[in-house]
Amino acid sequence: MIDDPDWLDVLAGELRLRGLPEDQVTRVLGETRAHLWDAGEDPARAFGTPSAYAAAVHESLGTPPIPARRKVVRAEAPRLQATGIGKRHGRHRLLHDVDLTVHAGEVAAIVGANGCGKSTFLRICAGVERAHAGRVVVRGSIGYCPQGGGTSDFLTPDEHFVLVGAGRGLGRDRSRGAGRALAEHLWWPRPAPIAAARLSGGTRQKLEVILTALGDPDVLLLDEPYQGFDRDSYMYFWDRVREWANEGRAIVVVTHLLDRLERADTVVDLTPSPHAAPGVRGRHHPKGTQPR
Amino acid sequence: MRRLSTIAEMTGREILRRRAVLFLLLLFPLPFYLLQRAEHPGQAIRFLFVGLSWAISGSAMFVAHSGRAIDPRLRLSGYRAHHLWMGRMSALWLIGTVVTLPYLALVVVDQPRVRHGALAVAMVLCVAVAAPFGLLLGAVVSREFEGTLLLLVTVGIQMVADPATTTARLMPFWSGREIGTYAIDHTDTGFLVRGVAHGLACALLFSLALAVVSALRLRRRRHLRTLPAN
Repeated sequence: MIDDPDWLDVLAGELRLRGLPEDQVTRVLGETRAHLWDAGEDPARAFGTPSAYAAAVHESLGTPPIPARRKVVRAEAPRLQATGIGKRHGRHRLLHDVDLTVHAGEVAAIVGANGCGKSTFLRICAGVERAHAGRVVVRGSIGYCPQGGGTSDFLTPDEHFVLVGAGRGLGRDRSRGAGRALAEHLWWPRPAPIAAARLSGGTRQKLEVILTALGDPDVLLLDEPYQGFDRDSYMYFWDRVREWANEGRAIVVVTHLLDRLERADTVVDLTPSPHAAPGVRGRHHPKGTQPR
Repeated sequence: MRRLSTIAEMTGREILRRRAVLFLLLLFPLPFYLLQRAEHPGQAIRFLFVGLSWAISGSAMFVAHSGRAIDPRLRLSGYRAHHLWMGRMSALWLIGTVVTLPYLALVVVDQPRVRHGALAVAMVLCVAVAAPFGLLLGAVVSREFEGTLLLLVTVGIQMVADPATTTARLMPFWSGREIGTYAIDHTDTGFLVRGVAHGLACALLFSLALAVVSALRLRRRRHLRTLPAN
């Protein structure tokens, strides 16, 4: 077939996945289609797989830079301000005196060892778990992505978009449109009309992220949101995080992967200090955030 | 209103998509009726009410459990607690009513000498009570197994307890047995009145308890203060 729409669609997706701007994607597709038409060749025979061809095009055009950080206006009150957060489980002190301040346009990463309270801290920031000490002030709406479990097994992606969109005051069409657009940005071009239980782990996790960002909440709280993502999706996710921040949102990401911390404006390590008093798991390193 | 109707719609879709559950929900009350029908046709109707109540409250409990994980996200997305429980209860009432219709038709055809209007009232009350009862059970008991056992105990007591005793009257599905007696044995209207009053009181009580439990479970914690965006 000379003009195989599926092959070209996949190529377009592969190019977007590699971060090519939309105008370049359009140009490459136009040139590819014209070449196929002139040569009368099968695209797979002429160019190989869409993935391989996209990789070659990407390499020839150079790697796009990480989306630039916009200047954060710190004169404005922070979008999220957590002060002196403490949490106990019985006699065990999980969190002690943790502070975090995130302004509009900033990305904060919460890191630390397993069981140090990263997810608990995020749940406290979202207001779904009680803190034993401290307070959290949030200016604007919250989007919270839990570590799994924030979706319904028996609803399709579109139905999830409508469900969460209605909560945010969006109509059906706008919810579906917004959800699908976000899906495309996470390299999930056409969410299939199948129940969430039948989605792969990584795709279901993308659904979690999309539902968090749907309706443009002012503060995004993401708890290890990339679990199950393939490598490209993982990189693409961090690009989206930076873009969301540039749109003026405050973002907190719980992560145990340290290879993308350069994309965060603030890093808070909740790993207990080795100098903690006996019987206490530890004071947390930061008293206040760590601006970078 | 849109939020409430969206929750109701999505609850309906979830239940309809669980084909096996739907199949069992439809067929579950049937043995209760058929096993007693030949020798004790009146008792068969009373057992049918219990079977219907069990099936609907069981479904409601599982709806509540499956909603537990997504509820915090929905709450943060702009839903209030009452949107969630009222939306789910509306869907369960509608589906429950649809489930009762073939059984009402069955009894009408099979037992023509029974007061059919009273039967319909009893079935409506079964649905009205069972939906909030199951949702409440699912909201209070976090694990499905424990919830199922509690439901089993409740239904078991309801079936074996003498309807005239206080124990039976304290059970949630007593109204069906009382109205059943009025419909089957053609007793005085006192049975009907007591049954309807008990059913309405239970439906109201369970709905109120569900409202309180849902509001507590999904409350915004005091340490969090939200202000308008800059």
